[in-house]
Amino acid sequence: MSVLLDVQDLQTRFQVRKGHVYAVNGVSFQLDQGETLAVVGESGCGKSVTMLSLVRLLPPAASIESGQVLLRGEDLLQLNLRQLRDVRGGEIGMIFQDPMTSLNPFINIGTQMAEPLIYHRGMSKSEALARSAELLEMVGIPDGAARLREYPHQFSGGMRQRVMIAMSMSCEPAVLIADEPTTALDVTIQAQIVELVKELRDRSGVAVIWITHDLSVVAGIADRVIVMYAGYIVEEAPVDALFEDPRHPYTVGLMGALPSLAGETGTRLTTIGGSPPDLVDLPEFCPFHPRCPYAIDRCRKENPMLEPVIDAGDGGHRAACWVDIREVELEAGAAAGSV
Amino acid sequence: MTTQEIAPTDDFGIAEASRTNLWKDAVARLAANKLAVIGIIPIILLFFIAIFGPYLTPYDFLAQDFTARLAAPSSEHWLGTDELGRDVFSRILYGARTAVAVGLVSTAISLIVGLIMGSLAGYLGGRVDMLVVWLTDMTRSMPALLLAIVINLTLKVPLEAWMEQMYLATKNGFFRQTMWVDLVLVFGALALIQWPGYARLIRGQILSIRSRNYVLAARALGMPTGRILTRYVIPNAMGPLIVAVSAGLGGAMVLESAFSFLGVGVQLPIPSWGKMISDGLRMWQTHPYLLAGPAVMMAIITVSFAWLGDGLNDALNPRQWGG
Repeated sequence: MSVLLDVQDLQTRFQVRKGHVYAVNGVSFQLDQGETLAVVGESGCGKSVTMLSLVRLLPPAASIESGQVLLRGEDLLQLNLRQLRDVRGGEIGMIFQDPMTSLNPFINIGTQMAEPLIYHRGMSKSEALARSAELLEMVGIPDGAARLREYPHQFSGGMRQRVMIAMSMSCEPAVLIADEPTTALDVTIQAQIVELVKELRDRSGVAVIWITHDLSVVAGIADRVIVMYAGYIVEEAPVDALFEDPRHPYTVGLMGALPSLAGETGTRLTTIGGSPPDLVDLPEFCPFHPRCPYAIDRCRKENPMLEPVIDAGDGGHRAACWVDIREVELEAGAAAGSV
Repeated sequence: MTTQEIAPTDDFGIAEASRTNLWKDAVARLAANKLAVIGIIPIILLFFIAIFGPYLTPYDFLAQDFTARLAAPSSEHWLGTDELGRDVFSRILYGARTAVAVGLVSTAISLIVGLIMGSLAGYLGGRVDMLVVWLTDMTRSMPALLLAIVINLTLKVPLEAWMEQMYLATKNGFFRQTMWVDLVLVFGALALIQWPGYARLIRGQILSIRSRNYVLAARALGMPTGRILTRYVIPNAMGPLIVAVSAGLGGAMVLESAFSFLGVGVQLPIPSWGKMISDGLRMWQTHPYLLAGPAVMMAIITVSFAWLGDGLNDALNPRQWGG
């Protein structure tokens, strides 16, 4: 498959009173056509800022310091605002976390949905409204034409997220960025939204970047996963490889914190000790070493690069860690066995 | 909501959707609010009187009836006459003109100043924001009436002297009408007192709306800035602003009366309710109707504006709509 989106060494930081918040620190990744890429990590690890940086939707205090965002070879960071607007919505659609506040309360759904169609696709108002009605039906809102005249407050959270998805997909973008779209919804609705996005993806062939901190969602939807920590990508792997054979201590920690139906009952979930680092004052070198049970001296002297892991499969499993944690585990197992 | 029951599937129905808008709904909600409707009636009446008052009054506001000085209310003089024999009812009707003119003009001035200052502060942020906030704080920290009195006392004499000079230089009769000095001072003082409120409101609105998710979502859909401003920011800022203006109109009228009461308002010949209340107060024990007429009028209008403001607030705030 051909590369659709190629992000190279993206760095974003925020100007704050006490200095800079280093939110995204040299992130590089690729997205193939029709692929679903999940981005996971704790709150405040730079997932959302990375994605907002792609289309330069950052708050005023943030600036992109370096990097390239190549969409079909064209650098989005070099576009002027007019060209960028054509990309936003037209090429890259976005869905956000909180559907309750993502719709303008003062405009009815129809007008709101019609606007991007009129703007990007040059449709007439009535064409755009007719298309919006179809889109609503497509995202599972029955009687779409009638609901166009309703206002956002007449829709439930799940329905609003469906509307947001319909809007972001209305101009048939090549990439859909979903920024924790299920976090604010209750569990049954979450599953429906995930299914809906999968269905739309399979039908339209859109490439999806799904930001989440919910690993159970990742397993169901993603082809490939990026794990982020403190603005760095610490591990990147095909979804199966990541779940079966995580190589970064942070990923291992995340997996350990995941409740399992198969495990013994009554056991405590493991947690990752400490708290995420202050992005104003990052730990020197490997950002994870203060919380890492495997940390060695080298972690405090050199920053590990994201490199292919030992005996990686075809999918390109990469991790940024000096330690081969499998070896450590084996040795620990052997040591425990010999005692 | 009635709109939910309508389920058209034809093309006409789809096109119709764009026409069902917030303002129509808001009007329907306002009409359903009893207090607001009760409040609107005196306000409409007030504006009607302000425009057509001079054609309705039985007497001119200056016409004196020396045979009936300080007369009690009668069929001839509905609300009695004052100590110069002038018909109180006619003067109240004329006074509506003062109230409406002062309310509208001073609110318009302060709204324009507030809009400019508030949007500058909200959009530009940084130093401009700090300066505007500092200015509003400074203005608001001074007691309103004291400020008006100081303005009147310090600026009236030099302004009148300047007018006289201009008259001597140009021989233009306009500069002999010292009434304009009063009006400028009263409007100026009212605007000075009121603009910080509007500026702070608009600044806050813009700051909060700018960071709303739906603005981000609209930007993510590639909507141009102008469209986002007109379709997303401004409509969402309008509700509170309309409410504030409605309350502000009533407030401005009360303030003007307070100025007149203290002798720093619009001076004769135009009757002003505040001046009438002030005059009536001197003889309220012997001739209470002199005080009662304008005071009751003032009270009705103030309460009406408050009710209308409340009704508008409910009508224009979709978050309060049950759905």
